[in-house]
Amino acid sequence: MNLAVEIAGIRFKNPLIAASGTFGYGVEYEGVLDLSLLGGMVSKGLYMEPRDGAPTPRIVETPSGLLNAIGLQGVGIRAFVRDVLPRLAKHDTALLVNVCGDTVEEYAEVSRVCDGAPGVAGLEVNISCPNVKKGGMAFGGDPRMTHEVVAAVRKATRLPVIPKLSPNVGDIAVFARAAEEAGADALSCINTLLGLAIDVQTRRPKLGFGTGGLSGPAIRPVAVRMAWQAARAVKIPVIGIGGIAAAQDALEFLIAGCRAVQIGTANFVDPGIYERVLADLRAYLERHGTDDINDVVGTLEYPGLPRPCDSGGRE
Amino acid sequence: MPANRVAPLVDREVLGGAYFLLTFRHPETARDARPGQFVMIKAGVSAEPPLRRPFSILSADAARETFTLFVKAIGQGSRSLCAMAPGDVAQCLGPLGRPFTPPPADEEAFLVAGGYGIAPFRFVGEELARTGRTARLFYGGRTAADLPLLDRLGGAGLTVVPATEDGSLGERGRVTVPLEAHLDAATRPVRLYACGPDAMMHAVARIAAARGLTAEVSLDPWMGCGIGTCLACVVRVQGEDEPRWKYRCACTEGPVFDSARVVWPGEEDSRARRAGGGAEEARR
Repeated sequence: MNLAVEIAGIRFKNPLIAASGTFGYGVEYEGVLDLSLLGGMVSKGLYMEPRDGAPTPRIVETPSGLLNAIGLQGVGIRAFVRDVLPRLAKHDTALLVNVCGDTVEEYAEVSRVCDGAPGVAGLEVNISCPNVKKGGMAFGGDPRMTHEVVAAVRKATRLPVIPKLSPNVGDIAVFARAAEEAGADALSCINTLLGLAIDVQTRRPKLGFGTGGLSGPAIRPVAVRMAWQAARAVKIPVIGIGGIAAAQDALEFLIAGCRAVQIGTANFVDPGIYERVLADLRAYLERHGTDDINDVVGTLEYPGLPRPCDSGGRE
Repeated sequence: MPANRVAPLVDREVLGGAYFLLTFRHPETARDARPGQFVMIKAGVSAEPPLRRPFSILSADAARETFTLFVKAIGQGSRSLCAMAPGDVAQCLGPLGRPFTPPPADEEAFLVAGGYGIAPFRFVGEELARTGRTARLFYGGRTAADLPLLDRLGGAGLTVVPATEDGSLGERGRVTVPLEAHLDAATRPVRLYACGPDAMMHAVARIAAARGLTAEVSLDPWMGCGIGTCLACVVRVQGEDEPRWKYRCACTEGPVFDSARVVWPGEEDSRARRAGGGAEEARR
């Protein structure tokens, strides 16, 4: 039975990837689970320099979800390359670095550092974090900026470039195409949905940053819809993200046209999720008479659905 | 190394009010837990509430492969745990976090618990009792009902000094009142350990600074993962030689911190406090 998928020349031994910001730098889970179970993992977002992140409180639970404003606290790319990469080398899983920047130049600079680093399979470009004042969603909320950042990263590295798109836009297809035209090799869809939770006693936001990003099962239907729209708009592969907590959730994204998926908030709920989801994926394939996960990708039957109107659409 | 596995509930005891003692089977936590450590735990596999909750370990029994939690059913996570029946399973990751540092041989341990903050201290007493040592426990709350573990602390080598703000049990007033009186009368060097509301731990930190004592506090911020990846539970801590504080994860670098390194609400620099009253008082 084949669970392996290939995206932008990267071989993932299975379609389950740990999402950025929900799996630290990977090494935190050494000893708790076998990291080699994962198809891949995406590092916490990294800038050139270490970052403090947002003021506390940083998370609040919402119905079937989690609202967070961590604010990209991180050790910086050089410390990551120096201290973390050697520790990850012994685990057989594909590593993507989540690249952040306050400016277009910083995105390119972080990417250049990764380019020469051993053990980095690809770059996920974070143009969609809602919890920072500069960069982040500012780049992901304007298709021209999306194009500019992706093109700059493309020029700075030979590694596969995978922009992570924001759901906080009108038409994600426009951004998917902008990223594709700028040279992206694949897309990650989606980041968190911008939200606000209010403490009615104090009448203040519950999060220290104010607004936050919503994740978890609460956002799954929105995420499946947007990943599906993005996949229909471009030729490059799409990695689906949003509220995956079980094999059937992952399958929704795959059927919608995603080549792989990322597991995010569910890592906090149960770090043992990978073993469970992989077993259930195998059982699904068996029940459906196939031995290759790739056979499931893009098999959505959607009666009456108009074909994508764009000539570059995926068929 | 913490272990992530299902933990069946083996015993459930109702203490009255909203308080429960819940005993789970989880061999790794039972075997490896140290006083001050915690588990991340959630009842069953339901979607609500989304996250596991951190709980201090009340006691651990390696032979029975069990550990016990003291839980107050106040929110969604704790209520669903307390609603479990023996045989039901929880999802549990543990043991986690940095434990309390045992007191040096020449120092006596004064434990300061505010209400629910009693949770880690029976374990501390049991550990000390194992080597023939004792500790004094200052156990405070607003009223007698906030001290439901009072008659469950026997056998842990603890001399208990209760205090309630309404005077319904023990000394009247905040727990720091008898604490200060006992510190004034102490004939041996003392090390302080505190767990409870932030304001109480801050007060203990100030007392420690003023008297030149070491105090460890167990902090309890909102936690997402328990293992240092979500970065939600960060607290402001300033190392001895650091020019300014850094956010540090309470789950991995804590929950137990040296109170002199914590930058408390309203402060910007922990060194100001240490350079002030603390040193002066210590020389006195």
